[in-house]
Amino acid sequence: MAYLDLFWPEGAVLPRMLPLDIFHMETGGCTGCALELRSLSRALVEGYSDIRFVSTPRQASLLLLTGSLTVEMAPVVELAWQAMPGTRLLAAVGDCALDGGVFTPGYAVLGGVGSRARVSLLLPGCPPSPAEILDALIRWRMQGEGGLSA
Amino acid sequence: MTQVADLIRRGMPANCNGRFVLDEGEWRDMVAALSHSTLPLLGLWSDGMQVHALFMEQTRPLLASVAVTDGRYLALSPARAGASASERIIQDMWGIEAMGATGCAPWLDQGQWPVTWPLRDRSPPAPAAPEGVEFTDDATMVRAGGTVLGYGPAEGDFNAPFHLRLGLPGERIMQVRSRMGYAHRGLCARMRGATVAQATQMVARIDATATVAHQQAFAGALAAIGGNAAGEMGDADLFVGELGRIVTHLDTLTVAAELLADRRFAMPAAILVERLRQACRDVYGSRLLFDVLPPVGGVERTLSIPAELLVELRDGCRALQRLFWRPRGMAMQARGRGILSADIADYWGIAGCVGRAGGVESDLRPYISRVRHGWPDGYHAMAGDVAARLGLRLHEVETAVEMLSTLDTARCLTAPVPGDDYGSGEGIGCVEGPTGPVWHWLRVEKGRVAAWWCGDPSLLLFQALPQVLSGAVYEDVPLILASLGLSAAAADL
Repeated sequence: MAYLDLFWPEGAVLPRMLPLDIFHMETGGCTGCALELRSLSRALVEGYSDIRFVSTPRQASLLLLTGSLTVEMAPVVELAWQAMPGTRLLAAVGDCALDGGVFTPGYAVLGGVGSRARVSLLLPGCPPSPAEILDALIRWRMQGEGGLSA
Repeated sequence: MTQVADLIRRGMPANCNGRFVLDEGEWRDMVAALSHSTLPLLGLWSDGMQVHALFMEQTRPLLASVAVTDGRYLALSPARAGASASERIIQDMWGIEAMGATGCAPWLDQGQWPVTWPLRDRSPPAPAAPEGVEFTDDATMVRAGGTVLGYGPAEGDFNAPFHLRLGLPGERIMQVRSRMGYAHRGLCARMRGATVAQATQMVARIDATATVAHQQAFAGALAAIGGNAAGEMGDADLFVGELGRIVTHLDTLTVAAELLADRRFAMPAAILVERLRQACRDVYGSRLLFDVLPPVGGVERTLSIPAELLVELRDGCRALQRLFWRPRGMAMQARGRGILSADIADYWGIAGCVGRAGGVESDLRPYISRVRHGWPDGYHAMAGDVAARLGLRLHEVETAVEMLSTLDTARCLTAPVPGDDYGSGEGIGCVEGPTGPVWHWLRVEKGRVAAWWCGDPSLLLFQALPQVLSGAVYEDVPLILASLGLSAAAADL
């Protein structure tokens, strides 16, 4: 407590490492990528990581999509995106989310969101392993969370 | 039961083993006889020209087909409630109407698709999409008042999307309305015209939690087309199937433990899941067991998993059993929640792991697998609640681990190699998946898929949700859904 006077408002402002809150949506695939994300989320919880999956888009700063985007899910994704506060980012994980994968555009599928929207983090794989997803998330954060949108 | 089966056999035999084509009168007689019979209906679908109904006569599939006349056929849902969703799907996909059906509201098509009846050769364009979703509450719910809460399609979890509208006049759920179609990818349309190799790749990605079952059932249908005895599996096939079942069951148990905040159970179960997925990657090249059927000209792989992992699994299962049944453990916490009794299972035609937990006697594995030492004894659960379902899954993990150590994996997979050399024919295959029986029916013409149908237990489970969730508190909904092993991806296709 004795050193508090070194900091703001009297002293220097320390940079604050913000936690990364991710809202995940499965938008129409086989749920393989979602299963791998579930494994990752368990590891993150056990490791007390500051990367965490949240249950509402209102708390999230990153919208992470897996699966090819179905026609029915498109308005749901839009609603979730609009519900996210402040600066928000979009990530697409897995081949289906990138370019549709095996579920190319059809009457019920619009295709991968990676080819339709400005995406900050793109990770291919069918499905990418939890280690690959975590590695991609950490690398992307190290690069200064570039590609800010909205 | 015999009477209905005899009525079906009076029809004209088709080129698929066990399929008979009935005329309109014979179909009507069959529907009338069904209401006095217990013959289980396992699936209902259409190929545009005919409507096919799949029944199970003891351990053999029996198919009845009727030609579609003026875009109609006589509905089965008055006699078999489980046919309702299938009839609505046929209406959505083909515009073929089920006369006298118990429900006619769309099941998959919620008005967002650009076309109507997409599987028709010339699909008419659809009217403009509705701006919002409208639900109609029944009179009891309106009178009771209270709160209406939604569940899905985006909960931030790791499941395929679907929506439930839950009416809670008080603390407990009274009304459940489901809205499906969010995970519909148009697989039937994609399969038409695909080569067998392309179709095999797509089948593996229907549902990641039951990918092995879907691949093996599809391979069974291919084998039937090739004239092989459908439904018989070798040791290597059984090994892969049981490995997939163990991983899915353990993952389900971990999710349930997390939802019940039982970290002592969740932690070792999650570690076992991860160890198994890593072993699957080493042995099969895929953590989730995608594409386990060997490709044409592919390299033969050693299918055994390390002996030390088997020992770890066996010890882990014993530890999980102790933790599951300990005082204030998961079994005690989950008791009495989300009951799916034998009556509900019989009403909807639910079989498999979920049905067995309610006391229904149905397991296809002993009939389609040649196990040298006989199939292990079943687990006798009658309660049908979350605890029974989870307990049964844990028991199945234990027996599957024991089985893995007795199988001879030196032999190669007996599943037919997916190639493009299939001529023309029709076949049906079935495998007991982690949640229940998975069926694939296939018609191949000149090496390409002409018609295809997939039956997954999730479709029946979604229909039973109003009864299962009635009386539950809102906080229990994720736990009940997890214990059922629901997959909207497999139900919507």
